[in-house]
This record gives sequence, structure tokens and C-alpha cells, in this order.
Amino acid sequence: MQDSVAPQTAGSRPGVPSRLRGEQSNLLAAKRRVRDWPAAWLLITPVLILFGIAVVFPLIDTIRLSFFDIKGLAKPKFIGVGNYVKLFTDPAFRNTLLTTLTFTISTTIISVGLGWMLAMVSAFAPRQTLPFRVMIFAAFGISEAVAGYMWIGILRPDAGGLLNAVIGLFQPGFAQPWLGDPRTALWVLIIAASWGGVGLPLMLCFASVQSIPKTLFEAAYIDGANHWQVMRNIMMPLSLPGVRVAVFINLLGALRAFDIIYILTGGGPVRSTETVGYFMYRESMTQFKLGYGAAATVVLLVAVLVVSIPAIIQRTAGAR
Amino acid sequence: MTMHKLTSKIRRRAVLAGASLAIVLAAMPVLAQELSGELVILQWQGGTDAEMWQKLEADFTAKNPGVAVRELVVTGQGDMRGPMRTALLGGEKVDIIINTWPAFRAELVDAGILRPIDDLWASAGLDAVLDQSWKDLGSTAGVTYGVNYTYGDRSAIWYKKAHLEKAGVEPPKTWEEFLASIDKLKAAGFAAPIAMPAKYWAHGEWFETLLLRTGGVEAASKLAAHEIGWTDDIVKTTLKKYAELLKAGCCGTPEQMFAGDWDYSADQIFTADASNYLMIGMWMNARARNDYKLNEGVDYSIFQFPSLGLGHDDTSSVDAKEVAVTANGANPAAADAFAVYMVSKDAADILASYGYASPSKNAYPSLLGPVQQIATAAVAQSKVQFVLGDLLPGDLVDEYRVQLQKFLQDPSDATIDAVTAAIEAKAMELY
Repeated sequence: MQDSVAPQTAGSRPGVPSRLRGEQSNLLAAKRRVRDWPAAWLLITPVLILFGIAVVFPLIDTIRLSFFDIKGLAKPKFIGVGNYVKLFTDPAFRNTLLTTLTFTISTTIISVGLGWMLAMVSAFAPRQTLPFRVMIFAAFGISEAVAGYMWIGILRPDAGGLLNAVIGLFQPGFAQPWLGDPRTALWVLIIAASWGGVGLPLMLCFASVQSIPKTLFEAAYIDGANHWQVMRNIMMPLSLPGVRVAVFINLLGALRAFDIIYILTGGGPVRSTETVGYFMYRESMTQFKLGYGAAATVVLLVAVLVVSIPAIIQRTAGAR
Repeated sequence: MTMHKLTSKIRRRAVLAGASLAIVLAAMPVLAQELSGELVILQWQGGTDAEMWQKLEADFTAKNPGVAVRELVVTGQGDMRGPMRTALLGGEKVDIIINTWPAFRAELVDAGILRPIDDLWASAGLDAVLDQSWKDLGSTAGVTYGVNYTYGDRSAIWYKKAHLEKAGVEPPKTWEEFLASIDKLKAAGFAAPIAMPAKYWAHGEWFETLLLRTGGVEAASKLAAHEIGWTDDIVKTTLKKYAELLKAGCCGTPEQMFAGDWDYSADQIFTADASNYLMIGMWMNARARNDYKLNEGVDYSIFQFPSLGLGHDDTSSVDAKEVAVTANGANPAAADAFAVYMVSKDAADILASYGYASPSKNAYPSLLGPVQQIATAAVAQSKVQFVLGDLLPGDLVDEYRVQLQKFLQDPSDATIDAVTAAIEAKAMELY
């Protein structure tokens, strides 16, 4: 370390070696930090209390409940890991795991894929496509419950349903019970859930594309690249950070999906659309087996953590 | 006047005076108190039923101006016991619980939430208002908790008169006539004569009355208590009868059945004119009158489930609703008065105006519409059994309804064996 080349700052004292100055500065900073602690704690305490009440306590209590056999309004009975053992031997729960996986992956692929694609296309004409982006994003703001009732109108099983009516223009009298058919119910549900989920990936990916330096595009066009090549070689790779965030948010949302399933299918027919979130509701709220439902909640929580922790680490690894 | 006659006259007068005093004293707790304060009712009903309840509450408060009624409304879809439990476990204190599930009453009793009303029953003279059978229906382990204020015939089949006239069908009386009517209705252009709401639970209605007509109230009662198994021949025979209906093309495809809840299925008959028969319970009457604005007995009617000829055709499935008072409510006096009010003439009149029958002897059946009169007469002539689904433990009823959905997909003998075995396996875990 050469003291002579160290930059002179406004507060540095001439004649004092820089190493000593650095130590003094660290000491001062440490003192300042100690002096700031009361204020820091004063500011952070309300947040910690709220976090404790709203997140930590319910979480711990849910984990505690998962070790009890609770049926209806009867007194809880401690059964250790009994609920977890029962859960993984319950064919209905195993079925929900598969359904949840299908639902989560499919809605994420459709929502993020469509959102990304629309972001690419929009980036070529940002002003002209603004109304469309706003309209698509507005769907993201609609509550799943409201969207569910809208989809009920679209998917009515008779010829009066919007989808059946449109198909009926080409095939009169067409009446497919989309939500009543176990072969189509889950896929229709995935489309309905994806519809509301396109807006956020679109905005995130669009923002990523907008942050790409203009010079890259100019250089590519000067070199004779066409739109497709620009999209494939510049826009797509450089918008990947936005895509990753969108995938992460969509995965979490899809894993916890409940409202739209509750409204459109109620987990049926024959449990074909029952996800872990809905199973948790059915066991906890309909059957009122709070312990069993809590065990399902903990499993869902673990799944959410498995998805989110690597993503959080990856997103925040460079932060100081 | 001889001494004997005088003594006898004095004794009679003394007995009469004593009896009058006893009645007055007995009625004192309910009648003499000036009721006041807030009366909280746990309300889970919506639509027309909720509107009817507001009228009942308004009438009660008009009679007891010191009381303010507050409804604690819980909302949900399907089985409303979940939201009710959530409210109660969440610490909500209510004075009155409206209940329609005997199994739930037992759960509330076990949790110490309900207060026995045998003393109230005696002091308010409810024996003179409700038959013993209604008292029994409101009891758990021999203790009375509920005052039944309405009941419904769950073995009635709803139809629109114009549909049957179009197909040249008379309301069928036998199973054979019923199956034949399905063919005629299909020939008249109705692709699915029975609207089968199999999305959630209502496909169980047909099974439950078929079970009664196959095995009688004893068998249904034993099945509810798991004293006979779900693999019993009675259950299998019931499902085979149900299969006859499905094989006759009663209800469209399984997918169509699964797509409809009971609201949608009712619409299919009464507004879309696409189906003809619906089995759902007497709340359909309020919907038909108030929502569809149809003329009871003129536009639509009911017939009792057709006879199977298996020796149990004098049976019917019924449901009932009761008010139960809580042990931890803040206003027990008002709660007691409200429970008694619900079987008064004024309450029965309001119920009748919405198309609901009251079991109260204060009710005038003549106030009921023609459809409700058919139902009350049918119930009066039947051996009745409470709705099976409301007697089973929650876990089992869920499995039973899902397995019945599987049966609707493929009503073969192999499926019957599989679904009854699956329900029985679940029952073995629970009883």
C-alpha cells in the first residue's frame, strides 16, 4: 500500500499516515454505528413486532398444530409426526402433489412464455403497443376471485357459455362441459390462471429489454442483422434477468394457487384439479382437521422455500 | 250441595288455580322478563333465506324492542360447517346457532358450546307446540339442544308442468313409470331429463332416497352409524337401481353432471327448459317463487319419489333446521326467547310466506302453497330418515361423494364393488 498515491479526501489530515487515518476512520465509523443503534432499533422494532405477529407466530403455530390430531371442535391430541406419515400415504395427497406440479409448471411456462414473447414484440414499437400492455397488465390487477367468476361465464357447460358459443359458430350446438370433464378441467384451469399471470412477466421482461443499451441495437442493425436476429441474439439473452424474476414470482404464485380453483372447480371433478393449496383448505376448513391441514401447509411451505431460497440467494448474492 | 260435592268443587278450583299459577310461574322466565341487549345470531344462509331471516329478526325485535339483533355472517361454498367452526374457534361469541347437521350438533355439544334447553322446553310449554319426534330430532344423547323451526322433504322430485305436458307424461308413481317417463321426455327433445348436480354433493340425493326405498329407515340409520358396512348388499342393490337410471340416459354424460352445481341444475329446468327433474330439497320452493318468479303449483310442482316395490316405499328422506342456544352467549334470556319465538305462529307465517313448512302446531298448513302442502302431506305419511350426508362424519361424507362421482362415470358392477370398498375402507378408519 503506497500512502503517497492514496486519494486525498476533504476530511483527511496532512501529516498523519494514511494507515492510521484509516484506523481512526474505522473507529469513528464504529462509534457512529454504536451511537445509531438506539435509533435503528426504534425504527426497526415496530416492523419486527408486526412481522412476529403476522408471520413468525402463525408459522410457528402452524408447525406446532401439524403435530396434533384436531378434529372439528374437539380438544387437540398430540400425535408427533403422525399427520406427516398419514399425509404421504394418503393417495389423495399424492395426487395433489402431481396436480400441483403440473399446474405450477404449466402456468409458469404459459404466463412467462407469453409475457416474454409479448415483451419482445412490444419492444419494437413501444409507443404503439402501450395500450395493449396496459390492458394485459390490468388483468394482473384483477383478483383471482373476480377472474374466476368471469371464467365461469366463459366456460359454462351449455351452448350459452362464451367459449362454447364461439366454437358453436363453426359447429352449431357445440356444448363441451370444460370444467366437468376430468380430462380438460385442469388444463382449462391452467389457462384461466395463466391469463391473469401474463401481465407481470410482460412488464418485467419489457423493462429488461428497455435497459439494454441502444448502441447494441444500432451496431447490430449496421452490421445487417434483421429483427429476428436482434431478438434472438440480443433481446432474448439480455432480458433473462427479468425472465428469472418473472419465473420466480409465477412459481410461488402457482404453488399457492387457491382462489381460482375454489371458484371454478372446487378441486373436482373427482379431485382432478385438487392442488396442495386446495387440499390444505379442504382438510382444514371443510373437514376441519386442523392438524392434518397444517401438515399439508408445512409441506407446501417447504416447497415454496425450495423454490425461493436458491432464487433469493442468486438474486442477492452480489448485494452488500 | 253435599259436603262431598263442595269438597270436590273446592278441590277442582284449587287444582285449576294451582295449574294456572304453575303455568304463569313456568312461563315467567321467558315472558315476564323485559328483554334487552344484543342478540347475536351465527348466520350462514344467503339469498332468499337470508332475507327471510331478516324478516324473522325484525318481527322478533318488534315484539322485544329492547333487543337488538346482530347477525354474525359467515360465508362459504358447499358445507358451511367449516366457516362456522372457524368463527367459533376464532373466539366469536354468539347467542344463537342455526344448525341443520345432527353430527355438527354433537360436535358443538362435545366442545361445550351448546346449552341444554330441556328446562326451557318445559317452562315454555314446547311439548304443546312440537311433537316428541321433533324434540328427539333436536336432541343429542338424550339431552335437548335444538328447536326445529322448519323441515323439508328431500325425497321430492321437482318438475315444471309444461315439460311433462309437452312429453305427455303424468307424474310417475312407480320406478318403471319413472324410467318410461325418461324415454318420453328424451323423445320430446330433452336430452338430459334429470338435472344431476354432481359438481359438489347433490348427486348423493338420489342415492339416499334410493337407499331408503331399498333398505328402509333401519338400514339407512345403521349405515349412518356404520352398524352395517358400505359393502353390504343393500348399498350395492341401491347403486344398481341408481345404475338403471343412468343407463336409461337420465342425466347426460358424467362430464355434464360434474359441470353443474345445484344452482346451475335448477336453472336448467326452470329457466333454460333443458331438463325436467331435480331432486334437491324444499329450498327449491323459495328459489322458484322468489328468484324465478314462478307460480307455485301452477308452473311447477313436485311428486314423491316413485315406489320401487322393495317393501320400503313408505319412507322419505328429510332435512330440518334448528336454532340452538349457546352456553357462552352474552344474552341467554333473549336467546331463549328467540328459540321459543321461532315456533310461534308469527314465525311460522313468515316461514310459510317464503314457502317453508314449520313443524310447529301453531302453524296453519293452509297458509302453505300447494307444493309445500304436497310435501308436508308426504312427510306426514312417511317413515322418515334424516339426510344421510348430514349424519356421516365429515371425512366420510367427502369420500362418499367422490366415490359416487366415480360411480357416475361408470355405473358398472365392477365400479360398484370398487366404490363401496373404498367408502368402507374410509369408514373403517373413522368409526
